[in-house]
Amino acid sequence: MIFRAVEDGDLIRQAARGNVEAFNLLVSRWEKRVYNYLLRLTANREDALDLTQDVFLKAYQNLRKLDDGARFAPWLYRIAHNEAYSMFRKRRPESDVADLPPAATQTGITVGGSSVFPIELSLAVASALERLTPEQREAVTLKIYQGFKFEEMAEILSCPVSTVKSRLYTALELLKIELAPIEARGVS
Amino acid sequence: MSCSPFDLKDYFFQELGGAERKEVEAHVHACQTCREELNRLRLTGTTLLSLREEEIPRRIAFVSDQIFEPSPWRRWWSGFWNTPARLGFGSAGLLSAALVVFALARPAPVQQVRLVQVPAVETAQAQTVSDAAIQARIEQAADRAVAARTKQLVAEVAAERQRLLLVAAELDFSDRREQARTVAALEYGPPRQPAGEAK
Repeated sequence: MIFRAVEDGDLIRQAARGNVEAFNLLVSRWEKRVYNYLLRLTANREDALDLTQDVFLKAYQNLRKLDDGARFAPWLYRIAHNEAYSMFRKRRPESDVADLPPAATQTGITVGGSSVFPIELSLAVASALERLTPEQREAVTLKIYQGFKFEEMAEILSCPVSTVKSRLYTALELLKIELAPIEARGVS
Repeated sequence: MSCSPFDLKDYFFQELGGAERKEVEAHVHACQTCREELNRLRLTGTTLLSLREEEIPRRIAFVSDQIFEPSPWRRWWSGFWNTPARLGFGSAGLLSAALVVFALARPAPVQQVRLVQVPAVETAQAQTVSDAAIQARIEQAADRAVAARTKQLVAEVAAERQRLLLVAAELDFSDRREQARTVAALEYGPPRQPAGEAK
């Protein structure tokens, strides 16, 4: 457990009063998590990095609208979700966003043709995640990798908790099947 | 198919309360099917977590730009309108001010007239006492002024009397001298012409 001398709530209050350094400290605490979340959604490092910058810029501009500092994480991820899907719409304006798989889902997360996850296990997991629908993959990302509660996920995704659970549990069943051969070989 | 009293996935994702968790744990301890199902979920979760997070390629940092920074007044105003609680307080303040202005602008009710009459009597009494004192002071001042004027007039009359006595004495002296001349003229006849002038 990491001890933090200054809590996020204090930084948010200071940043809301125009303290840029406080916001930079807040960014340094959250940028890696937001970047990896967006990396799972976009499957592209450059897009994920650009979106992460946009997310924090938008967060700084709207920080005064955040009433409860304890809700910062879902609020920030809600911005990230919106920014990612806004980018998907711009790139594929005539398609239904709900049916859109993120870019580069066929060959894993790649930049310039190089694989992001070199080891076998990572490839297998990445491959299994790619077979999910974007909504299922996002639900798994928010729950497994980001550790949000169902209520927070519902807030981020702007949908009922029942929908969140449905997406996540369906994805989990699919992942169990996909990863069963690897698990049977004792990879853990 | 799980026969657990609560969904094993909810248990696995730590979305159950304390009592519910204990129920599931007791059931899993006794039910081999559910225990195996839970183990599969745990294994899948562990496998998924083997996908490590990446470091961000470039750190993000913002710099303060005074040109684009909103002024403190604009920040306050923006914060005011963006916060429902502050807006509510502002509206309540305006309503209170409107009530005070309305109350002050209304004509005084009848009860207030009666309340005003009581202090009015006291004020009249206080004013009567004050007038009496003022009247006494005026009379004292008038007496002093009359006395001083009387004294001055008495002095003037005395001086005038003295002057009149002197004038009367002079007149008396003049009358007596004229009378003496008349008596002398009768005794010695008309005046004679000088010798040279008879020629």
